[in-house]
Amino acid sequence: MGKRKAIQRVALAAAVALGASACLSDSGSSGGGGGGGTKAGDKNVEIVFGFGGSQSKGFQESLKGFEQQSGIKIKFTEASQSFDTLIRTRVRANNVPDIALFPQPGILKDFIKQGKMTDLSTQLDVNKLQSDLVPGVLDAGEVDGKFYGVPVSMNVKSLVFYPKQAWAAKGYQVPKTQQELTDLTNKIKSDGTPPWCMGMESQSATGWVATDWLEANLLEEAGPDTYDKWVNHQIPFNDPAVKKAAQDFESLVLADGNVLGGRKQTVSTAFATSANPMFDNPPKCFLHRQGNFITQAGFFPAKVVADIDNQVGVFQYPGQTADSKPMLGGGDLAAVFNGKDDDTKQVMAFLTGKDYPGWSEQAGFLSPRKDYPLTNYKSKLTQQIAQLGQQATVFRFDGSDQMPGAVGSGSFWKGMVAWVSGQKDLDTALKDIESSWPS
Amino acid sequence: MIKVINALLAIIGGVAGILVLYWVLNFLAERLPGRWEGRLKPYFYILPALAAIGLFLIYPAIQTIIYSFANATSTKWVGLKNYTDLLTTKDFQITLVNTLLWIIIVPTFVVVLGLGVAVLADRLSSGGERLSKTLIFLPMAISGVAMAAIWRFVYEVRPAGTTQIGLQNAVWTGLGGSPVAWLQEDTFKLNTFFLMIILIWGQTGFAMVLLSAAIKGVPEDTLEAARIDGANERQTFFRVVVPQIWGTVITVFITVLIGVMKIFDVVYVMTGGNFNTNVIAVSFFNQLITNGDAGKAAAIVVMLMIAVIPVMIYQVRHFRAEEASR
Repeated sequence: MGKRKAIQRVALAAAVALGASACLSDSGSSGGGGGGGTKAGDKNVEIVFGFGGSQSKGFQESLKGFEQQSGIKIKFTEASQSFDTLIRTRVRANNVPDIALFPQPGILKDFIKQGKMTDLSTQLDVNKLQSDLVPGVLDAGEVDGKFYGVPVSMNVKSLVFYPKQAWAAKGYQVPKTQQELTDLTNKIKSDGTPPWCMGMESQSATGWVATDWLEANLLEEAGPDTYDKWVNHQIPFNDPAVKKAAQDFESLVLADGNVLGGRKQTVSTAFATSANPMFDNPPKCFLHRQGNFITQAGFFPAKVVADIDNQVGVFQYPGQTADSKPMLGGGDLAAVFNGKDDDTKQVMAFLTGKDYPGWSEQAGFLSPRKDYPLTNYKSKLTQQIAQLGQQATVFRFDGSDQMPGAVGSGSFWKGMVAWVSGQKDLDTALKDIESSWPS
Repeated sequence: MIKVINALLAIIGGVAGILVLYWVLNFLAERLPGRWEGRLKPYFYILPALAAIGLFLIYPAIQTIIYSFANATSTKWVGLKNYTDLLTTKDFQITLVNTLLWIIIVPTFVVVLGLGVAVLADRLSSGGERLSKTLIFLPMAISGVAMAAIWRFVYEVRPAGTTQIGLQNAVWTGLGGSPVAWLQEDTFKLNTFFLMIILIWGQTGFAMVLLSAAIKGVPEDTLEAARIDGANERQTFFRVVVPQIWGTVITVFITVLIGVMKIFDVVYVMTGGNFNTNVIAVSFFNQLITNGDAGKAAAIVVMLMIAVIPVMIYQVRHFRAEEASR
């Protein structure tokens, strides 16, 4: 017994000693910024990016010619699985790359606030870029009137896909306004088929499909100003405009008989293949809203991808009037850590310039430049999508990508899931998301 | 090749390092004067283990408790706010209720089913017993994520009119029903029970193996005596066999219970905690990884720790009592 007591005392003493040394960490160190990256003028530039596979290969090849011409050697650091972790760790360790391509503006803004990023007007002709790029794409990397990120590639989400052959047979027309879209939905329904296909299931990320819907509606109904205020939490998350956007999504897609399988089942249907019943014969649905990535192999059925120009039609998710063409999307924002390196400047100028070819051989690439030659894209469908992107009257980044993680990839997804599957009513769901916004 | 060499080096280096460490400690102990050598030597030997536990278990535990009173980035004290915030939200209350249901229902079913299988298999021919036990033990070899992946195919739902590839919906629609998204059916916590079935399926084999061994250890003469005294099979089982294996039953129950308290993979893979199926461990993960809120995540862990303590104490007591009665 005596022995046990002694051990207990030793353990207790050790615990107390350890406990006493435990304390709260310092609040974020005030980094000087500016430093880091490769040495200036050493003809070496490091780029960190968050995509992998064929996209990564395409990106690296797109810079080969430039490397030979300029003699600048580019070090490609691919972080397709863990871009956030990698870039945060390296910034904390003051071991930053020269350029990073941010897939989501949220982290970039964190770094801008910490003073880690370089104002792009010291690197590029930002005014010229403003007029060269799709309007709005630069805004995602803007803080206090200065621009810190410029997209190298973009993606668009306000797209509706349809089965071309079956549409032609039925004589359906592409709608130009929300009203026409509603009419078309009702017509398809009365012809005896659920108009929409939708799937929200995406494992631990389930819910983003519905957040995209809500964002597309809010952007198109309330306009970019309200949208920006909502994204930056200058108006409450459950603002009446947001509620209306959700309700319009509900009446267009979730209403009885409007979606294949019914409202509840959409939550358990995998997003990646949810559009595929559209290509059955006869089609089980006629409309599917999704980003341009869905046209790649692995999403649409292989036989459709092989014959994509004849099988798939696309139109922009319409606005209130035929002239209003707001586009929701995203992109990889190139941002500069080390602004004092002339090599970096050259690389940035090439990446954002007129002659940057991108990796248009891959279906996932769209150029954010308005003057990018459409003929570079392999398929007619991609050309059409790129054109829709170039003609957008306003472009906004996916809002959930810009919100704090606790909302954007947390409560917003979960709230949409709970609402669509019936665990919460809309008011409760929106209110719960609002109260989850970190103070 | 380089990996193999690395592994070998690590093993050799590790073992050699420990040998040197103990040799040094022993050397130091022998320098001590007279009686002190004998007194302190045991502690010198236990020191590395204690230090490891202190560094990897006690220190993080204390740090966690401290962080649970701090804000999301652990830079400012917030008092009990993390706890009150959590306990007053409806979602977290549902999470607690779900976890409670898990820890009551799963161990109970695992023990009852395991016992049932052990008893019934005991009556089969030795070949039949081996085969049936092997089959029931098989799921034990599968990780939680893989179990969930398998059961996704059972609960999978496809729109009406298309082929149902999910087993449950295939049967259900075959009987004339319309396809149901089983994992979303939260009336009477039905979906939570569907998730529990997965873990019960996985754990029954474990209970069966231990209980089967215990049943085989019951002396034959006690059974014979009961039968001679006129007890029927049911009486023999409940009054003679069960009391003699009760210790094993409790051990299995508590081992499964502690595992269930930490259940994560099955829920995370199947529903991600959606549709009112959330449990404490998933909630912790979401707070830490998605929300980046170290304070709330720590508070959840502390609550879990507090809940596990009584069970641990009971298990230790029970274990000691068992030891003493031997």
